[in-house]
Amino acid sequence: MESFFSRYRNLVVLLAALLLQVIGLAVQVRKTVPVEASGVPGAGLREGRSVQLIRLWAADMVTPFERGIHGTGQGLTGLWTNYLDLRHTRDENRELQKTIDRLRLEQATLLEDARQGQRLQTLEKFREGYIYATTPAQVIGTSGSSQSHVLWLDKGADSGLKPDMAVITGDGIVGKLRDVFEHTSQVLVINDQTSGAGVVLATTRIRGILRGNAAGQPQVINILADTRILPGEPVLTAGGDQIFPRGLPVGVVERVERDRERGSFINVIVKPAAKLDNLDEVLVITALDARLSPQQMADLTTSEELKGAEVAADIERKKAAAEMAERLPGLVDPNAPVPATAKDANGKPIAPAIDPKTGQPVPVPPVIPKALPAKHPDRFSPGGVSTGGANLGGVDAGSPGDSGADAAPVAAPVGVKPPVAKKPLTAPGTATKPGTAAKPGTATKPGVRTGGAGGMKSPAPKPAKPKNGVQ
Amino acid sequence: MAQVLTPDYRRDLEIRRYPTYIYILVPLAALVLQAWLPRLIGRFAYMDLPLLVTIYFALNRRSPIHGTVLGAVLGMAQDGLTARAVGIHGIANTVCGFLAASIGIRIVVENNLIRMVLNFMFSLLASAMVVFITRVLLGLEFQWNWLDELLRAAGNGAIGLALFPLLDRTQARD
Repeated sequence: MESFFSRYRNLVVLLAALLLQVIGLAVQVRKTVPVEASGVPGAGLREGRSVQLIRLWAADMVTPFERGIHGTGQGLTGLWTNYLDLRHTRDENRELQKTIDRLRLEQATLLEDARQGQRLQTLEKFREGYIYATTPAQVIGTSGSSQSHVLWLDKGADSGLKPDMAVITGDGIVGKLRDVFEHTSQVLVINDQTSGAGVVLATTRIRGILRGNAAGQPQVINILADTRILPGEPVLTAGGDQIFPRGLPVGVVERVERDRERGSFINVIVKPAAKLDNLDEVLVITALDARLSPQQMADLTTSEELKGAEVAADIERKKAAAEMAERLPGLVDPNAPVPATAKDANGKPIAPAIDPKTGQPVPVPPVIPKALPAKHPDRFSPGGVSTGGANLGGVDAGSPGDSGADAAPVAAPVGVKPPVAKKPLTAPGTATKPGTAAKPGTATKPGVRTGGAGGMKSPAPKPAKPKNGVQ
Repeated sequence: MAQVLTPDYRRDLEIRRYPTYIYILVPLAALVLQAWLPRLIGRFAYMDLPLLVTIYFALNRRSPIHGTVLGAVLGMAQDGLTARAVGIHGIANTVCGFLAASIGIRIVVENNLIRMVLNFMFSLLASAMVVFITRVLLGLEFQWNWLDELLRAAGNGAIGLALFPLLDRTQARD
């Protein structure tokens, strides 16, 4: 037996090493369970403690050196940029300051829109934010394998990071935190084959799962063939995976490939918005609640003040327009319901004005509707064309006692528009001269000439009974 | 040529030894660089430095056990940095380390051409084993691109040409 082991010592060691690792693999596969909450198949897998330990050791072994290399590189870069390459810095600083001022104003506007969007989302009972609490982190390393697209960050649990937090840049999403250690964390990038993110095509609103392919490109899989999907269409996060907030940019459609195994399905290759191969700084979304910095709050206040001034000016303009409208004549539909009382902007009734001398409420004059000219005037219509041939060229000016205010519409020659009254008409019964008030419902007597030849005075015209209720 | 492929010379049969810190520093540097260089050159990092280090020490130590253990440790550390199961690269590097040491006993490995060919072949073998373990043993969905694997093998062969003479300088002198 001893000679067997000594003779085949090398093979025994090899087999032992292989067997141990195969058993380790089997244990990992058995213990790996999908996280139900993620909602994305293959996304979010938890491992046993022993595997976590191996990863921790590997990370502890490698990341300090990576951090050192990264820090040295940063230091050298800083030495160059901060001391050796400072030409034209003042001019650039001035220009940048102007840009910052402009961007702050733009940001304030955007923040206002964002808050409006949040209010709407609250109404719809969406518990999603638009502005999120983020933690910046530096990328210090990769997996070193082209088959596993993983990044290592210089921050970990001590900075409040947790697994399954979304990692983004200003351009778009990067991935999610997979393993988080004390000072470092591992990001599973969206172009890894084991990653998964719910996405939606912005234009066609087709939803799918984003994951990487063999070439390291993110692709949306399991989509039924659809000719509407065209290159250039933006791809956004769908928000259903409970990792990435909804609406973050993912990239644009680069091309569409038919699924080789399933002919009716296509894979949409996505050109990522974030530069996944060349990342330095990333943001980790640590909370989905809205967080506004003091500067953002100040900008928002400025925006609201500016907006308040605009609203006040708008109210003044409307008030002036209303006053102008009161002075100018206009047509009022008498069928329209008369408002019981005037109401203010809040819908509360306005109390009538009090006469300071009498202490009594000042009566509000009723709105007198203006009589509309008849569509087909005849001799019975008030102010209609007189049937008398002698009256063709004359205009009945009404009785001398009639005031201009309560005068009935005057007759006009055919083809001539009736003159527009300069003042609002008073209501029936409010005529200044008793007896001249036109009684509602009293029709002009047939045969009575409303116009006299040679300017002969005619009796006071009686308004015809309106056909359509127009008085 | 026959002289090159047969262990006629006593020098070729000598077991090369290295200072202890070299056994620690070189694999560690390989891991660090493997994780850091892709940040600079992106997806064009067609190399596998831990595998190259495994092959180098296995060839020069001419000890299958040494090659097996070194391959297992480096491969598992490599797996620890990825998002995949720990042991995939471990098994691949273990087999490569064992075979490299076994071959190193039988042939002269001073020749640069032989080194390049060996690196190319072992890289292809490692890639094939990774695909086999992932798709067959673990039954996971895994896409791979043979062109990428060929480029990586070629890259390993080219890097080995520069790396191996550099590492030769670190061996302990008697």
